[in-house]
Amino acid sequence: MYKKLFFLFLFFMHLPGKAEPRKQKSAISDTVKLKEVMVMSNIPLDNKDIVNFYRTNQFSTLDNINARLGGLSLIKRGAYALEPQMNGFSGGQLNVTIDGMKMFGACTDKMDPVTSYIEPTNLKMIRLKSGTNGSENGCNIGGSMDMTLQEPTLNTKQSDFSSIAFGYESVSKSRNVLFSVGLGNKKWAWMADGVYRKTENYRAGNGQIIPFTQFEKTNVHSVLKFSPDKMNSFKADILFDMANNVGYPALPMDVSLAKASLFALEFQRKTKLKLKAKLYFNQIIHVMDDSKRDSLYLLKVKPVGKSDSVYMRMDMPGKSSTLGAYVQLIIPWNENNRLTLKVDNYSNYSIAEMTMHMRYAGFAPEPPMYMQTWPAMLRNVAGIYVENSTYLTQKLVLTANVRMDYNIDNLQSEYGQQQFSIFNYSLDKVQSKLIKSVNLLARYDFTNDFTLTSTIGHSERMPTIGERLGFYLFNAYDGYDYIGNPDMKTEKSNFIKLDFQLTKPKIKLNVSPSISFLNDYIMGITDTKIQAMNFYANGIRVYTNVPSAKLFSTDLQLLYTPIQNFSAFWLSKFTFGEINHTEAMPLIPPLKNIIAIQYQKDELQVQAECETALAQNRININYGESKTPAFAVFNIKGAYGFTLSKVLLNFSTGITNLFNKAYYEHLDWGRIYRPGRSLELYIKMSY
Amino acid sequence: MKTNILNIIIALLVSTMLFSCKDEVETTKVNPLEGFIKLEEGYAIGAAAKVEVWGKKNFFMGYNNLTVVLLDSINPTDTLKDAHIYFQPLMTMPQTTGMPMKHACPVENPDEAAINGVFPGAVAFVMPSMGGTWNLGVYVHNHKNDKSGTVNFDITVDSPTTSVMSVFTSQSPDSAKLVLSLLQPLVPQVGMNDIEFTLHKKASMMEWPADSTYTIEIAPEMPSMGHGSPNNVNPVHVGNGHYKGKVNFTMTGEWKINVAVKKDGTTVSKNAYFNITF
Repeated sequence: MYKKLFFLFLFFMHLPGKAEPRKQKSAISDTVKLKEVMVMSNIPLDNKDIVNFYRTNQFSTLDNINARLGGLSLIKRGAYALEPQMNGFSGGQLNVTIDGMKMFGACTDKMDPVTSYIEPTNLKMIRLKSGTNGSENGCNIGGSMDMTLQEPTLNTKQSDFSSIAFGYESVSKSRNVLFSVGLGNKKWAWMADGVYRKTENYRAGNGQIIPFTQFEKTNVHSVLKFSPDKMNSFKADILFDMANNVGYPALPMDVSLAKASLFALEFQRKTKLKLKAKLYFNQIIHVMDDSKRDSLYLLKVKPVGKSDSVYMRMDMPGKSSTLGAYVQLIIPWNENNRLTLKVDNYSNYSIAEMTMHMRYAGFAPEPPMYMQTWPAMLRNVAGIYVENSTYLTQKLVLTANVRMDYNIDNLQSEYGQQQFSIFNYSLDKVQSKLIKSVNLLARYDFTNDFTLTSTIGHSERMPTIGERLGFYLFNAYDGYDYIGNPDMKTEKSNFIKLDFQLTKPKIKLNVSPSISFLNDYIMGITDTKIQAMNFYANGIRVYTNVPSAKLFSTDLQLLYTPIQNFSAFWLSKFTFGEINHTEAMPLIPPLKNIIAIQYQKDELQVQAECETALAQNRININYGESKTPAFAVFNIKGAYGFTLSKVLLNFSTGITNLFNKAYYEHLDWGRIYRPGRSLELYIKMSY
Repeated sequence: MKTNILNIIIALLVSTMLFSCKDEVETTKVNPLEGFIKLEEGYAIGAAAKVEVWGKKNFFMGYNNLTVVLLDSINPTDTLKDAHIYFQPLMTMPQTTGMPMKHACPVENPDEAAINGVFPGAVAFVMPSMGGTWNLGVYVHNHKNDKSGTVNFDITVDSPTTSVMSVFTSQSPDSAKLVLSLLQPLVPQVGMNDIEFTLHKKASMMEWPADSTYTIEIAPEMPSMGHGSPNNVNPVHVGNGHYKGKVNFTMTGEWKINVAVKKDGTTVSKNAYFNITF
């Protein structure tokens, strides 16, 4: 039987003249292209329009773009490095990758999501997949966000270019310089892009200057491409990102240095089969620093005898290095079937330390207090991913994908073992686990205009290093110290998603509700038997598998183009989360809407945007939440471009938070007001 | 029947394992004096024995592990392996008026059979040499020749920078004088550590027997951080006045171990604590 199948397979592989399969619609992902490159036409609605709104002032960080993607919300701890949350999932529940490459932040407090090391200038596109279906780059339950880096195009007129841009934002006196250059010929192409930003403390809508919202960063990306012939191409990427003096007003400490470097080599061969192989290494060094803070900053009631004379400093450096490789093969094995095979492996080494230096005024400094908040750990994950898409009929496409990851955690530090002996654990040095993910997608075109895609899947994910072996990680949101659970089980999800898409010439509509039924949901549960580490901690929470949880999400996107040159866009996102059928899941955003109208004629573009959110009253007080009021914020922008003796000049200007509203969003830690009215100026010269 | 066979098989398996283990264990020569230095030596006149006193460092206020090496005084290469040894520490404190005050301190005399050729024991000096002079007598009853004698050493007892002993008067009607010594952890580390105390009670100036009638509770604390550590195990009496438990340190730094010595549930110590810094 199998033999027969195999020969059948070979037969199809060798069918002459049938090399190209039917153009298959990638119905399963939302794609955002950030440049003027062609937009994937098979997606009726792809956020392009709303992203365009922000593209005109590219000096905004990636966070500004993420905030405008369907399903994405941002957890905010400061003016910089917002953490993406997708349909209520965040952190270790999401696969955030750069062109399939794994990268992990080095901060125990999630102050450096991978997205903070990538700039819009580096980016070609962002691909989002929700729920268990985001498993192409690793088993996960919440979805995936894959960012593709810019690359030069070979053998085109645009291969030689250079541009420089300057941007200014009044609210934070933010100064930005951006550049991009490219060189190329028939076989070689090179490009580099980069940005430098310096931002001071911003002013909120109520006039208050928010301290510790400053940051400074530099990002440079260089990519070299070599294509000896039409089939083969090689690519080498180097990305370097460094942020200094980053303030986190919602946390008791700031970041003096966050440095990332990324190196990648890629080989692609495009024949009937598509082969892509990648080898990569990246490293993040993250240094937290509280030297500018009052050591009792977070205390509401300062303890007797421990007043200002207490002088404590914390050094919290973290390091995360990842070495990985993958090979991906796309095989159109017959006219109606396309098979994707991917084999990948990565090793991540993480360590985070904390040294506290205490000195009471008039006394000699005490000996340093040292611990490993993430004991040194080497995690190796080897995975295999298989996906097959079948055109059953002209109208029905079935896609099935399976992934298996073999995860080996190798505890490198004896210190970590000793630390956990306190909680009566006798830790094994090595712990391994096989985890799985299965998804089934069906896409049915009812008419040419109306398509329904349904997804059903099951997946699990490994607990993160912090969730397994975290040691007194202070969470400023609920005020608890978090401790890992070495015996943590995987988090599991059963996922259902429906995706309705309507594509009429004037109206494009997309509604995509999804629900995840979660088992062994990982969250911190209070343990009153363990004492907190800090004066300002409310207690201890131990990461625990909660039997059940539920997350429901729905997005609505509508693009209406009644007349030429004029369009209106509406995005709504809603998420509902529940733990154990009763409690509200913490950190769930309320209904959020973005409505934008745009007028575009030739080189002139005018846009107006309204961002609103309902109040969030469904909160979990035990997890440090309080109610968040509703808000509405208005932004306007205009852009104009013209050519002056071979130099293309683009001007844009805009005002964000037009009515100077003092507001914060529900996912903003510390309920710190967002920036008030800001005038933005942007000028770009391209040659 | 079935279970019987199973039991036999298990027994066989276990015995094979034990046997094979025994095979593998090499009889490595233990150096009983590893980490020790010779503090004193002299002849116990009458016992025909040369006495060497070894300790980990010079005598200090606290529980001192002292190991005695006995050599034949005529043939010093011959170590004696069977003898009764008694430590006889004596503190002489000159008084402004009248006779000088004399007292001993708690001791743990070695077994009469040498262990690895030496005689480990202990003396818990209850004060440093500052208030008077310490004299350490070592009485030897040499079982080889059935003779006995004593050697006396004039010693200096240091006051350690970090106290490892608490001498206090019980807050109970009998006002007993108690000696609480911290033996372990000697090399503290982050994580779980063994903690060991001895408790002795002053019965008279010269008699300081071990006492097992008290209970000990510990509460480690990091004073500058205002926190303790979880899952500590209160020491329990394991014999001869020794109390053993577990203490946890969540990080390096300056720790304070608060100790409550209790009699019938009532704390009789008063703010006893030990500092451990690492």
